[in-house]
Amino acid sequence: MKPLLAILVMMLGMLPAMAELPVVDIPPGDTKTFLVIHPHHDDHSWASGQAGLITKLVDAGWTGYYVRVSNDEKDGPHGYPHDDMVNLFEAREATENLGIKDVISLNWRNDYMDPTPHNEIRAQLILLIRKYRPDLVTSYHPWGHYDRNPDHRKVSKAVGEAVWLAGFANVHPEHRKLGLKPHRVPYKFYTQRFDYGKGYEPNVVVELGESNIRRKARSFWVHRNVRLNGSTGRRMRQLLKDQGLAIPELEGLTDIEAHAWLQEWSMYSAARKVGGKHGIEYGEIYARLGEWHPWPGLTDYLESNAVEK
Amino acid sequence: MTLLLQRTTVALLLAGLFLFSAGPALAEGGKVVLVITADASDYVLAAGGTIAKMLDDGATGYLVRVTNDDKDSWELTAEETARRTREESEKAAKILGFKEVESLGYRAGELGGVSPTELRDRILFYVRLYKPSVMFIPNPYAEYVEVLDRFYVGQAAEDARRAASLSNYQPPFAVVGLETHVTPELYYYAQPFDPRRREAESTATFVPQPKVVDIASTFAKKLQAAQALKTINHSMAMRIKHRLESTGRHLPLLDDIDETSVSELVEINVRKLGAIAAKDTDHTQAEELHYAGVEYQIPTKYLQ
Amino acid sequence: MKTESMWRRRSVSTSRLVAVLCVVSLYFPALNGASIGPLPEGEVPPGKKLMVIQPHHDDHTWQYGFGGLIAKMTAAGYKGVYVRVSNDEKDGGMQNGWGANDVSNYEDTLDATKNLGLSEVISLNWRNDHMSSIPHIELRDQIILLIRKYRPDVVMSYHPWGNYDRNPDHRKVSWAVGSAVWLAGLANVRRDHAKLGLKPHQVPFKFYSHRSDYGRGYHPNVFVELSEDDLVRKAKSYRLHKIRVSAGAGRQTREALDAMGLKIPALDGLTDEQAHERLQEMLMHWVSKQRGQENGVPYAEVFYYMDEWHGVPGLSDYIRESAVER
Repeated sequence: MKPLLAILVMMLGMLPAMAELPVVDIPPGDTKTFLVIHPHHDDHSWASGQAGLITKLVDAGWTGYYVRVSNDEKDGPHGYPHDDMVNLFEAREATENLGIKDVISLNWRNDYMDPTPHNEIRAQLILLIRKYRPDLVTSYHPWGHYDRNPDHRKVSKAVGEAVWLAGFANVHPEHRKLGLKPHRVPYKFYTQRFDYGKGYEPNVVVELGESNIRRKARSFWVHRNVRLNGSTGRRMRQLLKDQGLAIPELEGLTDIEAHAWLQEWSMYSAARKVGGKHGIEYGEIYARLGEWHPWPGLTDYLESNAVEK
Repeated sequence: MTLLLQRTTVALLLAGLFLFSAGPALAEGGKVVLVITADASDYVLAAGGTIAKMLDDGATGYLVRVTNDDKDSWELTAEETARRTREESEKAAKILGFKEVESLGYRAGELGGVSPTELRDRILFYVRLYKPSVMFIPNPYAEYVEVLDRFYVGQAAEDARRAASLSNYQPPFAVVGLETHVTPELYYYAQPFDPRRREAESTATFVPQPKVVDIASTFAKKLQAAQALKTINHSMAMRIKHRLESTGRHLPLLDDIDETSVSELVEINVRKLGAIAAKDTDHTQAEELHYAGVEYQIPTKYLQ
Repeated sequence: MKTESMWRRRSVSTSRLVAVLCVVSLYFPALNGASIGPLPEGEVPPGKKLMVIQPHHDDHTWQYGFGGLIAKMTAAGYKGVYVRVSNDEKDGGMQNGWGANDVSNYEDTLDATKNLGLSEVISLNWRNDHMSSIPHIELRDQIILLIRKYRPDVVMSYHPWGNYDRNPDHRKVSWAVGSAVWLAGLANVRRDHAKLGLKPHQVPFKFYSHRSDYGRGYHPNVFVELSEDDLVRKAKSYRLHKIRVSAGAGRQTREALDAMGLKIPALDGLTDEQAHERLQEMLMHWVSKQRGQENGVPYAEVFYYMDEWHGVPGLSDYIRESAVER
């Protein structure tokens, strides 16, 4: 079997074999704001995260913003500027479906980010962090060294620094002139695609419900430019038919509707598989860095001794 | 590349044979310890006790601090932070027993924009100058270390140690009398951010191995050195307090921030770091390192 | 006898147009620069293929070149392509975003260069005004590939030694062109191109130019005479870039003239946008006339020209004198 289904099954098979992880809830929030910072329009929507987490935060009253770092010009068949525009449009639609308030595009050149000075991207992120003062940032894993995508590595590394450097007054002190005060992001949820290299070591699982998965599943294929086409739906059906098989739910659907259904199914399946490994129905796994992560020698002490005022 | 590997292997083999034949003599005196650190506190917290042990045993210590720590303060300008931290880092180093401190002055948090080969060659200079028997460098393979300066410095230092042994790197150095040098022993250090820090990815021939060192005898010195970094410690205390207060909490210890409360916070931190490292060992206070010694890159049959 | 009303409102004769345009030029980039001429006359070199390599959509036609020369060469039988190195995302408002600016400026480039007789636009789409960090060799090698594919006899670009050009994209691209035009002739540079059947090709003739209003300016060494037809096409191509035309600017110009008791009859009956289009065309006429007058011809453009023996200054005279037809 060649098609998407086979690739998806393979990807699911690569889900890191892991001991049961602790199920965590969303952290406490001060501003109840979160930032999703990714290189590409659709990075929020993979099986590996973060769409489920986003919906959970929004349902709990958090306000979220999506930062698209590249211009996505390479992703799609329409030529650079059109792919940029279409992918941005669909990013707005997909993230709006999850409850994200706005999309901010930094438009660095897709797949040409290596020579972009790290400090330039980081500076932009520090500015945004100080403006929105998020309690939580989610992005690709800064230590996901085996991520084959150079944009992922570039952006995650910039995020990995920005989240704490934004807390130092002497880093870009000129921001004060805009009334922007230093802000260290207390909670980070990092993720990585399962099908990339050595994988990574998540340390928590976030439990999701049917409503979270439903929105996640839809947002996956709303990126129609790159994720939806009738020919794939048709090919899948033909392949199944050649083996004497059929998926009853696809009966009566057009080819493009069939592809959308299959895409949604893949999200349910991945979330169910993750959940099953951790004793819950649906889940997403993350490497969560808590508010005291920078001080491992003080984490226990602070957690035991810090009290409500 | 093959020639390079051959040369490196032969160089390390010779170093290994030298170590074995020299034996105990090196452990007591004549040893030079070169420590490379990105910032003033990292090496103290992660390896200060181990380093102090070697210096107490008669080794001569040199510290190269790559950045100027100018960002790590609370309500001070970058310039004032850099000035104070320089003084305090030299004081801390003296407590541990270092002979000399070199501060390269790169701005903290800015190493991402510095050419890796520039960093490497700056460090290479000191390797050839001091001709260390042992080097301590930040572990660039440690994950979840958010201070990327430590990654950049670790990567550059690792490369510098290798390049220092090869004459094709910086031939002008030889013109000024800096000959090539093979450093036989290398310790990688990092604070315990990485949950997999005790896992070796392969055998000693191929990768540096986790090593836990008992520092009970030098814990007091380590603590004293850590407490000498007043500006950085104050910054840590204030950031923790700020975080707590902005979320409606407080830590009684930090209700009043002064030298006493900050010192106490530092002691809690250093003790706990030592306890984390000592876990599952017989030690009370320890440090976790990765060690590349004679076994590294020399196949076992040559050692026998 | 002239009445007061006649004094208040005068029509402007052609000879006064120069003075008016001096006022009008307040609304355009300062373009005077030093008087340039008389220079030796440059001819259209022997050859058939032309490549214009510029960072931006509209860099092919400014008061300092290259529109007139391109029109002249295509009229003489040259075929040519335009290489737009950046994505022009910054040139335009942010109402519709960067991608929209890219599309709009690219489409205008197609129209404007076609008007000059160029057959193709190749866009490299490097990020506009973020080009400083692009490794020089990456950009240079893209240009080498294109030079080897199209094998141009003539390349036009910004002056590689225009060090005072304030626009970072101009400096970046011209620097890459300056090395690509000769490195493309060396077989050991990017030997992998040979696998595509692309042979080395050194560009023999280069016409470089520079904006006259940037800093120290530069020193052109030839003028090229333009015909009326060249000028008409140059003028039209200039204003086909919609970013250069706005109703607001047209209205402002008319108001400024009106405040001085002046008007331009050629603008009568036109909308503000049409008026600005016309003014842009007049600008091209005026500056080309200026350069022509400096060099003893009706219309001209000036360039820094490097011929096929530029690379061997000790042999160029000898080769010119001694080389003969087979």
